[in-house]
Amino acid sequence: MKMLFAEAPAQKLDLAKKLLLLNWPFLALITCIVLVGIAALYSVAGGSFEPWAGRQVIRYCVGLALLFAIAFLDIRWWLKGAYPLFLVALLLMALVPLIGVESGGARRWLGVGELSFQPSEMMKIALVLAIARYYQWLPPEKIWRPDALIPPLLMIGVPALLALSQPDLGTAALFGIIGCGMMFLAGVSWFYFGAAIASVVAALPHLWEKLHDYQKERVLTFFDPERDPLGSGYHILQSKIAIGSGGLAGKGYMQGTQTQLNFLPEKHTDFIFTMFAEEMGFVGAIALLALYLLMLAFITFMALRCRSIFAKLVAGGMGLTLFAYVFINVAMVTGLVPVVGVPLPLVSYGGTSMLTMIIGLGFVLNAHVNRKVTFRRAEVGTLW
Amino acid sequence: MTKSKAVHYGAKRKPDNVRKQSYRFSRRALLVGGAQAGLFGLLGWRLHQLQIREASDYRLLSDENRIMMQLVAPARGTIRDRTGAILAEDRENLRLLVLPAFCKSLPVTLDALSRVVPISRATRDRVMRAAVRQSGYYPVLVAEGLTWRQFALLNVLAPQIPGMRADRSAYRKYNHARPLAHLVGYVGMAGKDEVDLDPVMRLPGFRAGRAGIEKAFDQQLRGTPGSTKFEVDARGRVVRELGSKPSTRGKDLILSIDHHLQSVAQERLKEHRVASVVVLDVVTGGILAMASTPTFDPNDVVFKVDPKAWGRLAAGKDQPLQNRAIRGQYPPGSTFKVVTALAGLHAGVIDAHETMRCPGVYSMGRARFRCWKSHGGGINVHEALKQSCDVYFYETAKRMGIDHLAAVSRHLGLGRIYDCGLPGQKAGIIPDQAWKRARFMEPWYGGETVIAGIGQGFVSSTPLQLAVMAARVATGRAVLPKLVLSPDDQDREWPLLELDPHHLEIVRAGMIGVVNEPRGTARRSALEIPNVLMAGKTGTSQVVSTRNEHLLSAYERETHALFIAFAPADNPRYAAACVVEHGGGGSRAAAPIVKDVMTEALLRDAARRPAFVSANQDGVPGAIAIVGDGG
Repeated sequence: MKMLFAEAPAQKLDLAKKLLLLNWPFLALITCIVLVGIAALYSVAGGSFEPWAGRQVIRYCVGLALLFAIAFLDIRWWLKGAYPLFLVALLLMALVPLIGVESGGARRWLGVGELSFQPSEMMKIALVLAIARYYQWLPPEKIWRPDALIPPLLMIGVPALLALSQPDLGTAALFGIIGCGMMFLAGVSWFYFGAAIASVVAALPHLWEKLHDYQKERVLTFFDPERDPLGSGYHILQSKIAIGSGGLAGKGYMQGTQTQLNFLPEKHTDFIFTMFAEEMGFVGAIALLALYLLMLAFITFMALRCRSIFAKLVAGGMGLTLFAYVFINVAMVTGLVPVVGVPLPLVSYGGTSMLTMIIGLGFVLNAHVNRKVTFRRAEVGTLW
Repeated sequence: MTKSKAVHYGAKRKPDNVRKQSYRFSRRALLVGGAQAGLFGLLGWRLHQLQIREASDYRLLSDENRIMMQLVAPARGTIRDRTGAILAEDRENLRLLVLPAFCKSLPVTLDALSRVVPISRATRDRVMRAAVRQSGYYPVLVAEGLTWRQFALLNVLAPQIPGMRADRSAYRKYNHARPLAHLVGYVGMAGKDEVDLDPVMRLPGFRAGRAGIEKAFDQQLRGTPGSTKFEVDARGRVVRELGSKPSTRGKDLILSIDHHLQSVAQERLKEHRVASVVVLDVVTGGILAMASTPTFDPNDVVFKVDPKAWGRLAAGKDQPLQNRAIRGQYPPGSTFKVVTALAGLHAGVIDAHETMRCPGVYSMGRARFRCWKSHGGGINVHEALKQSCDVYFYETAKRMGIDHLAAVSRHLGLGRIYDCGLPGQKAGIIPDQAWKRARFMEPWYGGETVIAGIGQGFVSSTPLQLAVMAARVATGRAVLPKLVLSPDDQDREWPLLELDPHHLEIVRAGMIGVVNEPRGTARRSALEIPNVLMAGKTGTSQVVSTRNEHLLSAYERETHALFIAFAPADNPRYAAACVVEHGGGGSRAAAPIVKDVMTEALLRDAARRPAFVSANQDGVPGAIAIVGDGG
């Protein structure tokens, strides 16, 4: 028992050992969900690999290469790289309003030649690493102190404010959920969470004033879809009709009438679950949710088995990200929460969201491969 | 504290804390996991509610009677000229579409349809291909521009031909199309960027302004789309309408143009390869005519477009899509002497009485600048303008320096673009010392001032700018051009220029001399209307340096011909500018055009007649509220 907590010498793992340590069933689970997505995209396109399913396959292959690269790099590298990565992501987010590309009334993209990417996606990964890095550094006996809350709150708050200014309410909320969830996992006192919830409730009316008109409209329409059935309530209503009409067994693969009839917008991205639930019915939808839940369970148990708090929090944080995406997306298309543009991870069409999620899962696997690693004080270094 | 001691100390008390944190993580991770499972349970409950408990309701909505929402494209606003004549309007376009998914057999449907509407082999292939490529629920266009007879017949036959749909949309029709092509512009399908910003633009048949007024005032003209909710049966037939939000028609625009004058101007330009002419109402700034040749017919590019013809137009010889009146930048040549004279008088370096001698050449240091002829002695400012003596203005420019000349040029409206709703304007160049430093990182040379004095060298202007300059000289006010009329800006007066009225009078007298006195350069273009005089100034600008001359064709070597004018000279109402590219001398090529167009303007006197007012017109459209800026 004493050996376990001693400052163990840094073990180096060779590639063969790493391959052996990799959680292969988890990888199979990821592939399984991606395949469901590709089948769904094939159906959305009316039975064609063009224009979506084919490209999604290529993206998954690229993502897989990235996933292995991330999983097999030494975890100490990621520990060292966490803050620099966070700062780069922060810098890029700050650059977006200055040199970003505007699309659909919001400025979220940075363009590099033909490529364009969203710094806020990079931030979702960097935030998890940076908070995990912070709690690896923070001596556990100091965790109760109020001043120990300041750095992680800044790490969450600054990117969230930048996201709000884009304006991208969904991403800002996501940063908050992931960051606060990780602080909870790290062991921050219950008391602070109680206080935070109380103050948020008190601040809600003020926040409401700050929302953009279209965001207010979405929230209001959510509470009363009949407010504007031809306008923004239309999406929710059509999505509910499509899901509901799927019934127990669904209308059959490629037989969904609502989605095929172009009643739904964004049916290959944010509303792909709607199409899936219409064609595969209650049984299919629950099965897909079960796959996600299984994935979350895998991640939780991988996190429990890690020895360092850094690895635990990286895995736990990525799990929170995955959960937040799935829950918000499905709750949105079933009319439980207002329409916010959040894709269904690994299934929705889209290069950026697919890559972000796969990279995140690469870090989960990295934590798992390095589950026995502990860090010496010198390796953790100072706050910065 | 040494390092080994620290490790020892740490090793002794850390495990406890680290173990505690690890246990706490496990407890909380399981708690979070439990919460996640619980929230997934909530999703499961919701799916159960939608797909099991309420499934029959939704299935009814979906299978038996589908609710279909159709966006209704708004009618685009009409564009009229000041007399109320329609320049651009929406016309009804009767279309035939098929929904392949609802056809029993697409070939059979097409056969049935071809008995009413001729369907070519190519169209047939296109429809068949489209039906395979995209979802069968997406309508495919078979024919447009149907006659009423065909449309009525199709509607009668509709119950027997499943999957067909005949509908009414709109296309854009341009009248007086060729003369007004550049000004009014044309519409086209929305680009990808615009579709991203406003999904409504994806609607088939929705058109956005692509050029000219149609582009600049797209927001006003466009209107807002409406929507109709239908119940359709499983075969896509409309069962009933559930309600609709009507579309709002776009606003009408009334232009300051007089289409009759515009046509005359266009007709008059026809004999030249590339030329343009602008006529302004100097009191309001309203553009009465703005013609540019070569031109094109916008009707060819908006409806039943032939892609090959479009390609020919876009890449055509002499670029027919370009509006030379606002995009052609020419050295103003001697027309610029009007500016040099005013600037010289303003600077006090010349006065009305001082005379100079013109030996036909002007020397400055080692450089020699030629005059177009030897004018002899006794040349004062009046004679210099009238006979267009270069030497006089070389000296004037040299005396005052380039920065003063540039400042007065800008005060007269040159070197800038105007906020009058014409997209794609060029600013031209009014050079000064700062400009040259910024542009070439080189100091300004004295010789460059001298040639700027006769509107050569770096100086360049568009025909519209030259017309504005003429209008400002004519009125002594900071006139700005205007293209769209609004009912409540009739009696606005432009602010006075900061120039001595007496100086303006001297220059105007010189311009009257150009057209009406012996030895005036445009003597042959005097008006033939009794008791009405025109004032003007010719310009012949060199386009190529002698060094490159041998590389060019005879046409390209020829000088540009320019003429600016205003009339009636004693009480100005109209100002005009004309540029004929490679037209030779200003007095020979440009002045006669202005004479004819000006005669037409004076005889019709459109500016004095009240402008047409539409009920569907913006009071003061935000985008075009023009505030005089004093030049």
